[in-house]
Amino acid sequence: MVPHRLVVVRERGFDVRSFGTGTHVKLPGPAPDKPNIYDFKTTYEQMYNDLVRKDKELYTQNGILHMLDRNKRIKTRPERFQSCKEQFDLVITCEERVYDQVLEDLNSREQESLQPVHVINVDIQDNHEEATLGAFLICELCQCIQHTDDMENEMDELLQEFEEKSQRPFLHTVCFY
Amino acid sequence: MMASGVGEQAHGSVASQFYSNEEETAFDMTTSEKVVELLNQAALISTEEKLIVLKQVQELIINKDPSLLDNFLDEIIAFQTDKSIEVRKFVIGFIEEACKRDNELLLRLIANLNMLMRDESVNVVKKAILTLTQLYKVALQWLVRIKSVSDMQEACWDMMTQIKEDVLALLDSDNDGVRTHAIKFTESLIITLSPRTPDSDTPKKQEGDISLDKIPKDHTYIRYDTLCEEGKSALEQLLKFMVHPAISSINLTTALGSLATLARQRPMFMSEVVQAYETLHANLPPTLAKSQVSSVRKNLKLHLVSVLKHPSSVDFQGQISTLLLDLGMSQSEITRCTPATVQPRKRLHHEPYVEGKRIKMDAPLAEDDEDKEEPAPVVTPKPSSSVGTQSAIDLTAEFLLPLLTPDNVANLVLISMVYLPEVMPASFQATYTPVESAGTDAQIKHLARLMATQMTGAGLGPGLELCKARDEEVKEEDGGAGESSSKDPLIIRKLSAVSLGQAISVVGAPAAYKTPITEEAPQIKKLPEPILPTSQPKAPGASGRKKVFKLADVVQPFSEAQIEKLSNMAIKRILLSEKVIAQSGMSHVRVKLLARLVTQFEGGKKNDLLQFILEDMRGRSELAFSLLYHEYNEYLSQQPSGSLDSYEHCLYTLLSGLQEKPEQRDGLFTKLVLEAPVITDSALEVIQRYCEDESRVYLGMSTLKELILKRPSRQYQYLNVLLNLSSHEKEKVRSTALSFIKRMYEKEHLKDCIEKFALTYMQFLVHPNPPSLLFGAGEDTEVASPWTEETVRQCLYLYLSLLPLNHRLVHELAAVYTEAIADIKRSVLRVIEQPIRGMGMSSPDLLLLVENCPKGAETLVTRCLHILTDKVPPSPELVERVRDLYHKRVPDVRFLIPVINGLEKNEVIQALPKLIKLNPIVVKEVFNRLLGTQHSEGSSSMSPLTPGELLIALHNIDSSKCDMKSIIKATNLCFGEKNVYTSEVLAVVMQQLMEQTPLPILLMRTVIQSLTMYPRLAGFVMNILARLILKQVWKYPKVWEGFVKCCQRTKPQSYNVLLQLPPPQLASVFERCPEMREPLLQHVHSFTPHQQAHIPASIMAVLEANSRKPEPEPQPELHHPEIIEEREVPVPKHISMPAPVSQAEPPAPTPVEFTEPPPAQQQQIPRREEVEEPMEQEETDHAALEVMTEDASQQVEVTEEASQSNSISEKTDEPMEESAARPVDVADQPKEESEDVLPEAGESSVD
Repeated sequence: MVPHRLVVVRERGFDVRSFGTGTHVKLPGPAPDKPNIYDFKTTYEQMYNDLVRKDKELYTQNGILHMLDRNKRIKTRPERFQSCKEQFDLVITCEERVYDQVLEDLNSREQESLQPVHVINVDIQDNHEEATLGAFLICELCQCIQHTDDMENEMDELLQEFEEKSQRPFLHTVCFY
Repeated sequence: MMASGVGEQAHGSVASQFYSNEEETAFDMTTSEKVVELLNQAALISTEEKLIVLKQVQELIINKDPSLLDNFLDEIIAFQTDKSIEVRKFVIGFIEEACKRDNELLLRLIANLNMLMRDESVNVVKKAILTLTQLYKVALQWLVRIKSVSDMQEACWDMMTQIKEDVLALLDSDNDGVRTHAIKFTESLIITLSPRTPDSDTPKKQEGDISLDKIPKDHTYIRYDTLCEEGKSALEQLLKFMVHPAISSINLTTALGSLATLARQRPMFMSEVVQAYETLHANLPPTLAKSQVSSVRKNLKLHLVSVLKHPSSVDFQGQISTLLLDLGMSQSEITRCTPATVQPRKRLHHEPYVEGKRIKMDAPLAEDDEDKEEPAPVVTPKPSSSVGTQSAIDLTAEFLLPLLTPDNVANLVLISMVYLPEVMPASFQATYTPVESAGTDAQIKHLARLMATQMTGAGLGPGLELCKARDEEVKEEDGGAGESSSKDPLIIRKLSAVSLGQAISVVGAPAAYKTPITEEAPQIKKLPEPILPTSQPKAPGASGRKKVFKLADVVQPFSEAQIEKLSNMAIKRILLSEKVIAQSGMSHVRVKLLARLVTQFEGGKKNDLLQFILEDMRGRSELAFSLLYHEYNEYLSQQPSGSLDSYEHCLYTLLSGLQEKPEQRDGLFTKLVLEAPVITDSALEVIQRYCEDESRVYLGMSTLKELILKRPSRQYQYLNVLLNLSSHEKEKVRSTALSFIKRMYEKEHLKDCIEKFALTYMQFLVHPNPPSLLFGAGEDTEVASPWTEETVRQCLYLYLSLLPLNHRLVHELAAVYTEAIADIKRSVLRVIEQPIRGMGMSSPDLLLLVENCPKGAETLVTRCLHILTDKVPPSPELVERVRDLYHKRVPDVRFLIPVINGLEKNEVIQALPKLIKLNPIVVKEVFNRLLGTQHSEGSSSMSPLTPGELLIALHNIDSSKCDMKSIIKATNLCFGEKNVYTSEVLAVVMQQLMEQTPLPILLMRTVIQSLTMYPRLAGFVMNILARLILKQVWKYPKVWEGFVKCCQRTKPQSYNVLLQLPPPQLASVFERCPEMREPLLQHVHSFTPHQQAHIPASIMAVLEANSRKPEPEPQPELHHPEIIEEREVPVPKHISMPAPVSQAEPPAPTPVEFTEPPPAQQQQIPRREEVEEPMEQEETDHAALEVMTEDASQQVEVTEEASQSNSISEKTDEPMEESAARPVDVADQPKEESEDVLPEAGESSVD
């Protein structure tokens, strides 16, 4: 469900990448306990075709096909954060579990350049309304961060403001590459 | 999950693309040539492209052909002064790469790096810190390799050391990000400057990095000892940084991570790290928000786990597990992370680090400690061997453990209740977990440890003292080498913890040291002892622990109150020694001393000093200023968390002291205000109060003005104070404020603000009620009280005083005016006189206002016109605008009044009918203007009409355009001006009127009135009357009536005139005034016979006739209001049977005509009663008609229109007669006919 939030942010001109952190890519299946599971090597195209084959109507109705269609236009396949060796300035997670995974990954890497990367968690429930709200919140947050003269110095205050405004707690930490 | 990477990898890819293209096209160039070309390009292009090009150069000269590096170094480095931050960062990156490639370059580049470290952009500084982190290791490694170090290299290393110190100092930077980078640098520095041990968990990439253990101890320049000390000092700084109470959450997170890294890579620090974690866990900074507490705790957990996983954590597993349990980790998880216990390797490895000397010390010291710790049962797992490294917390915890009896604990709880904060702090709320194992040994142990952590943090407890003593001892042993790190982290922490206050109060409560203190005291006192044996080797063996004199034994610490009292007295003595010191010429020292002392204390002393200053402010002003500056300095030194309160209090007290004192006129107040480093809000209030004092308003406002002009940073705030005063209720305050503001208004940058304020205030007028702001309530809520003249004025003072300076503003007034309620409008009209007069009629904006005249602002415009033309005649431009307005847009004749003297003659005449219908006062004003009777300047020569012309014009007003009553009133106004309407003027008027055909209705009225005013005009009037006979005056009923009346009045002179009348008319006269006949007859009889012979027989017949006989005569008017009054007799009763007379034909009795349906029926009759009348007159008798007339007259009283109808009827009898005479014409004349005529007609017909 995640990448479709990314679209909002992307359209507004950030240099953004999206990642998964799990061991597999999970998409909703016919029942909550029967998700469709793919590994990170599977392309969106393949997932799309697979789902069309399985139950076109169901996956059209719940928006999964639409989402995959959009995603495949952005990149060929999902990426796993833990396998990405590029350096970022800011990582935003939408679930505390993911935040923990990111932190664990970043802390387990060997420090080299000591370039800081800020990690922020904004808890967003995995439903459409929350996702849309959350997308806008994140987008606004990114914009604000981009407009700061000195991100690191102003981040603390900015987050406090956002917390107050959005009435949800943010987790925030810094790791180093 | 998302990641946002701003920039670099994107650039990188573009760069490589560019690079490959370039290579293809220019493959035959040498690398050197290529570099030259690229560098040339770089100088000229935009930042983005420049970065790409520079990266290419870097690639070429560092990786492709390093031999070129030296050649082009200077060219690249030149970009370090580039405007772009990115370019400067590139240069730093380049320096790093270049130095890594060729260490020798450090000699040349270290200075540049040093410069970039001081760059104005924090991003550049951060990059420089990152680079330095790498280059420090590079430099060290490089120098270590060289056996003989040159001067240059020495200097280079010195500078590197210096920069390293600078970066460490950046731990105190104002910038969060810079601090974060400084922490990481410190981490890396500590690792470099400490020995790697076999249990070090070193990342693969850093395998080759230098560390202390690789430094040869015999190096010519690099000192192993020095580096070792520097490393320790860095660790101390990091630990000290961690316990800062206001540390930001990110810095804290970073530091936590750094400690974990340290613990894993240098397990020798495991103890410090775990202890720091414990301290932090028990004392989370109070400044953290709730979510930050969660983030920090999450981090703490993560790092604790990573530390726990390290095999060397084995000694600390208990503490770490307790912490992890507290952080919400389950026991099973903890166990999973705990490494299998391996052969404890422990500290033996670390000992070389402390240079072996410690080992020697350990033995006697341990013994010593053991002896003293008798009261506290030793519960440590490794008693003797660990004492040396046991931390203060460990020791204190051990000490506390047996004291935690239920009684003591209960007391502690009760006492600490008092100190609980009102609200639960976020950090507590987040960390609180219910105590599950209360009362168990483990829990008591944990509690003891927690308390020990707190106590150590507060600088209390036996453990701390012990450790301190031990440290000192070690240092003394170390001699000179140890001096550099004289700062004990624990002592420093004590200071910072004291400022925490609240946390300590719990520990510091009486119960906490009641029991310990007795047992503890000897311990503390003995602490310095171990030093003695080393300095005096004989002592220990001989005297042992026998009584030695110690100061602490014989003196008692002062109580708080005593300290307070003594210090107060000391300061008082300095205060009172004023004169003595002045004589010695050292008063400046005293001033400085007092200021410094007092600034450091709270409350009481400060107030004393301020009071002292205020007693003689003049004489002690120096002290005042000194104190003020010190307070400010204090504030600055505490930046960014410092508070201005103390400074503010000082400034406020001084200013209000001055303000409250009477007769301070020497400008001390001004001086204080202008020289104070910052004007706080409360000080501004005092200034405002000062300004509100009528006797000081000028001085106060001059001061305020100076502030506004000379302190631009907050000038708008100051200006606002002045602006607020402009609507002050005290007149003097207000007018002074206004005059100051007017002067400020000339300054371009203040203009807008002033104008905005004035307009805002004026805008209040559109509200239904005045805002409470006007009543000094200071809030913008509306109070239900209505607008008063006063509140309206308050809103306008400033505006009105600006208006003459900026005419444009007048349009805003018009806009507000149109929206305001009637009461406000009236007030506005009253107050604008002065400013509008000040603007003058030549003001283009006023003219524009007149020209545009917004709807609803007509009265305002009229008022302006009046004000402008009140004293001076209107200018042609103004007249032109008004004329335009009147003709094209708002045909309200009142506009014309102010400029009436500027209009053309015929315009005035045209407007007259409308003008005289206005309110009598206004009509009077008009006439005053026209007659020039209002003011001396506007002489009557200015008037377009001479008085005579005016009066004539009035007579000639078309009766369809104006009712007779108004005309009569207007003429009365003329007659009222006796000075203007002299007998000569009136004579000319009469002459001219008489010559008109047809004769004006009011002719005779005017004649009579002139005669009443000037009886000597009688002769002239006789002449007129005679001439009127020639003009057959009887054809004009109205005039005829007047004629008769005039004759009646002017008898006996009029007898001769009467005798000139034709017989029927003479008869008509007698009909009206029968009493005239006899005297006239007698008059004739008095004639000589000759004269009598000239009297025609027909006349004589009339004269002698006794019986009444109807004469054909024009129908006299029923009632001319004025004339009726004079007559005193109701006309109808005396009227003879009227006979309509046509102008063309001789009079003939034609009474029958009146029985015809009156022409009135064919007229357009507007009113009901008038319609009824003619109807009834046909059928009813005289009496009935009288009722009707009465009826009508009653209605006259009711409605104004009815009265008009009366007067209209008066002037319309002529046509009526005509129609009677020539019924066929009736239809032609309908409009002029009137209704009121009819009752008369009715009467006649009945007769």
